[in-house]
Amino acid sequence: MSTAANMVEIRNVSRAFGQSVAVDNANLTLQRGDFLTIVGPSGCGKTTLLRMIAGFDEPSRGEILINGQNVASVPAYQRSIGMVFQKLALFPHMTAFENVAFPLRMRRFNPALIPELVDRYLSLVKLDHLAARRPHQLSGGQQQRVAIARALSFSPDLLLLDEPLSALDKKLREEMQLEFRRIQQELGVTTINVTHDQREALVMSDHMIVMDEGVVQQSNTPREIYNRPGNRFVAGFLGVTSMFKGRVSAIQDGLLSVDMGGVTMTARGNDALFSIGDAIDCAVRAEQITLLEEGAQARENTVTGLVRQRIFEGDRMVYEVRVEDMNDSSLYVFDHNPGKHGEHDVDTTVRLGWNAESFYAFPVVK
Amino acid sequence: MPKRTLDRLPLRWTLLDKLEAIARFLWPARLRGATGWLFITPALLLVGVLLIGLGYMIEYSLHELDLSTYRLKDAYTLDNYVFLVEQPVYLRVLLRTLLAATLVTAMTLFLAFPYAYLMVRTPSSALRKFLLVSLFLPFFIGQVVRAYGWLIILGKEGIINTVLLKMGLPALDLIYNYGAVVFGLVQYMLPFAVLLIVPAITAIGEDIELAAESLGANWLRAFWHVVLPMARPGLVGAGVVVFTLSMTDFAMPEILGGGTTDFIASAIYDSFFQLSNSGLGAALSIVLVTLGSILVAIVFRLTGAGTLSIRQ
Repeated sequence: MSTAANMVEIRNVSRAFGQSVAVDNANLTLQRGDFLTIVGPSGCGKTTLLRMIAGFDEPSRGEILINGQNVASVPAYQRSIGMVFQKLALFPHMTAFENVAFPLRMRRFNPALIPELVDRYLSLVKLDHLAARRPHQLSGGQQQRVAIARALSFSPDLLLLDEPLSALDKKLREEMQLEFRRIQQELGVTTINVTHDQREALVMSDHMIVMDEGVVQQSNTPREIYNRPGNRFVAGFLGVTSMFKGRVSAIQDGLLSVDMGGVTMTARGNDALFSIGDAIDCAVRAEQITLLEEGAQARENTVTGLVRQRIFEGDRMVYEVRVEDMNDSSLYVFDHNPGKHGEHDVDTTVRLGWNAESFYAFPVVK
Repeated sequence: MPKRTLDRLPLRWTLLDKLEAIARFLWPARLRGATGWLFITPALLLVGVLLIGLGYMIEYSLHELDLSTYRLKDAYTLDNYVFLVEQPVYLRVLLRTLLAATLVTAMTLFLAFPYAYLMVRTPSSALRKFLLVSLFLPFFIGQVVRAYGWLIILGKEGIINTVLLKMGLPALDLIYNYGAVVFGLVQYMLPFAVLLIVPAITAIGEDIELAAESLGANWLRAFWHVVLPMARPGLVGAGVVVFTLSMTDFAMPEILGGGTTDFIASAIYDSFFQLSNSGLGAALSIVLVTLGSILVAIVFRLTGAGTLSIRQ
């Protein structure tokens, strides 16, 4: 077995279906043992990319290398890839044991070793006591575990997860996210996970890619992507984000003065992308905005607005506030202090502030 | 703001409301538990009539024909059955029928499965429609007309032989033999089989096949270990239907067999209408029904009760 530094390398891969481009010139490298999540809205091309890696589909252009080998001519059944499907795709006519043994039999493992391997992987997912059950006799979470064990039992180079958690309820999903992560780290298997659930992407991954309209929008660690969104799409896709239109009135050292209608604010942005007079989009995350108390010190950006709506979410209160001075835009702000959840009523005035550091400026996409 | 209720409801709504009121009056709420029974009553009656008919057949089969009056004697006897056992011709007809039904079933399933598979899996809706129409077209023609159609093509002076003679080749005996009957039956049964297999294949998600592939199975192994076992209910259901329909068929052996390859149904017909021996015909019918039931019961026993997707 070769030991290339990168387990997966995708070079200039595109996939077109007739006129529509599903994946447009994607590039990525994934190191051995890493957990990568590709996240994006439905139709962004993430599933197409995953199917090409698995070998169910071929790139129109570009190449895919797995473990240093170009897999263009390798059919799916000869690639060393375990995959967990969205609908799990367990074999209903086989027991959990037979499901996990299936790839071992197909890949011609020594029959004498198969029971031991199956047991090991069923124990890994804590299902060894249910080996004789058929899939329909197992709960949703247990079926997930069988699917994981089946995808891993033959020690593949690469594990692919195609939104396998999307059908589970929230509590089970969050439990399984941690479970996937535990197993992945225990085995050190290189993993690519595809999801539209940003929380899952942030929680599970070492590395994360945000896709939209077939294009890789940003590729970095979850923290870096969340804290430094590279463009307007990424800023809006992750977190609860409010967007405003404005015009650049001054630029200095990566800080922009932005005319937002009634007020001038300070935002963070790459100097090189802007010139004075440009129309721009500014974004701020709800958790970065502070509800300023009476007499509290103003922030770099401070406005007053009218509470339009209060949404109680249990652990926090979400306010929708309309700000006249910012072209009548609405923004969302959290209040995490349980003692103050009842403080602001609809139609009362609140004062809000946030720092320039968390106010992202992006060129308007034409 | 618009009023919450209209003064005049659309006619269709009014009519449906009236109908519902009538239904409520005729079938009060406390009878609702029995609604299911109400709906299957016609079917039960039909089956009941069939059973009564079967009872009469058993009755008939136990009386010997009186050759002086050509009516059945009053005395009860097993002579008709003894006659069937003693005459080797009936055993021959029986075996011929069973062999043909087995052959037809095997060949039909073999041809129908890929057809159904392609119909379900093809991404081209044009091809799917074409396959569906091709399947149904022969249905509209009817069995007898179709069999005569085969005569035109395969007959002594039919299209194929005409062409062969024109090319200076000897004519072939394409009809009035066993092969022709089997061939005709396969062609007749194909649509039934395809229609019964399609739902079974539809029920196998495409993900399942991709999963098998990603786990290391090439298409042949994926087919053998995953698709075929999962499609078994449909295959068994189709097999049972094709086998019983073939075993009891009358028109194909008559027309394409031309009297050379009688099936049991032909023998029954002859007993009733040629020999005017309704006792013998009834005995043959009972043998056929019993045999068919036993075979179907064995198949269900062997393959489990889920075969016709009744229970999974």
